Amino acid sequence: MAMMPKRVKHRKAQRGRIKGNATRGNRVVLGDYGLQSLDGGWLKAQTIEAGRIAAQQYIRGEGRLYIRVFPHRSITSRPLETRMGKGKGEPAHWVATIRRGTILYELGGVTEAQAKICFARLAHKLPLRVRMVKRRTH
Amino acid sequence: MNDVLNVTARTDTGTSRMRRLRAAGKVPAVLYGHGQETSVLTLDRKELVAVLNHSGHIVQLQGAVNESALIKEVQFDPVEDRILHVDLFRVDAGEQVEVALEVVLKGTAKGSLSGGVVNQLVHEVVIRCPASAVPERLELKIGELDVNHSLRAGDLTLPEGATLVSSPDQVLVICNMPVVETPEAVGAAATGAEPEVIARKKAEDAE
Repeated sequence: MAMMPKRVKHRKAQRGRIKGNATRGNRVVLGDYGLQSLDGGWLKAQTIEAGRIAAQQYIRGEGRLYIRVFPHRSITSRPLETRMGKGKGEPAHWVATIRRGTILYELGGVTEAQAKICFARLAHKLPLRVRMVKRRTH
Repeated sequence: MNDVLNVTARTDTGTSRMRRLRAAGKVPAVLYGHGQETSVLTLDRKELVAVLNHSGHIVQLQGAVNESALIKEVQFDPVEDRILHVDLFRVDAGEQVEVALEVVLKGTAKGSLSGGVVNQLVHEVVIRCPASAVPERLELKIGELDVNHSLRAGDLTLPEGATLVSSPDQVLVICNMPVVETPEAVGAAATGAEPEVIARKKAEDAE
């Protein structure tokens, strides 16, 4: 099931702007390898889930997949064939706001070759440019 | 033997000057500690990368200052992997220092031969040891690790004179049987529900 917050303070949010590089969540901390975004953008909850399924199907319980992003922001949309006005639309889906450099997924307990194949399969599901990175020792 | 880093004193500071410095193959650094005055330095990037590649922690500085130092923090550009800045901490050879060291698994776990999967949960532990004897990394032998068993920080073999600062009960590595999720379990949760709104709940309570 696609991820979504359990409780929110406000149902609808303004769109905002995505500027600059990620200053947090830009290091591999949980696993050995990470998938890092090279673009900023929104990642839908369904897309995060699709990526998770693609990766899980490859690693098949061996190793461990960590999802490092969460869709906190609701995106509203207007019903089809309705006139403008009458207020903001209703929440349609949830997205994670991704800044350049954010680690999206991490993998542990697999070899580098397996991680490379797994992330390549996962990357096909994503609307962002990504690259594989390794854990830093310093 | 400690690695040697050639350093030059630096008077320039500021974003644009440091950007030019990095473009010339140098790395800005700062040296502090022991209650002495802070020194701003410049390092050679190639020398520094060579030290970091083999996980060196203590370096001997030569040039503008001749002291031993602990590499306290290395700042990287998250996207371009360039080294932006280094923090160096003055240490004496016999001084006790706290260092975060990488834990490397050695051997093949007994459990993995019977189908288990080894998962390293913690990759770094903090130890206190003399500055002259800081190891590059800590090795954890996992040969005896069976399925549904774990190894803790207390199981690490520390170098002579070193003590563990991290909790000895901290689980470093576990071995479990692989769990393949079933499609029914994935699709079982409800879809289309909306999250609870905190402010609305408060307003209802007030009424």
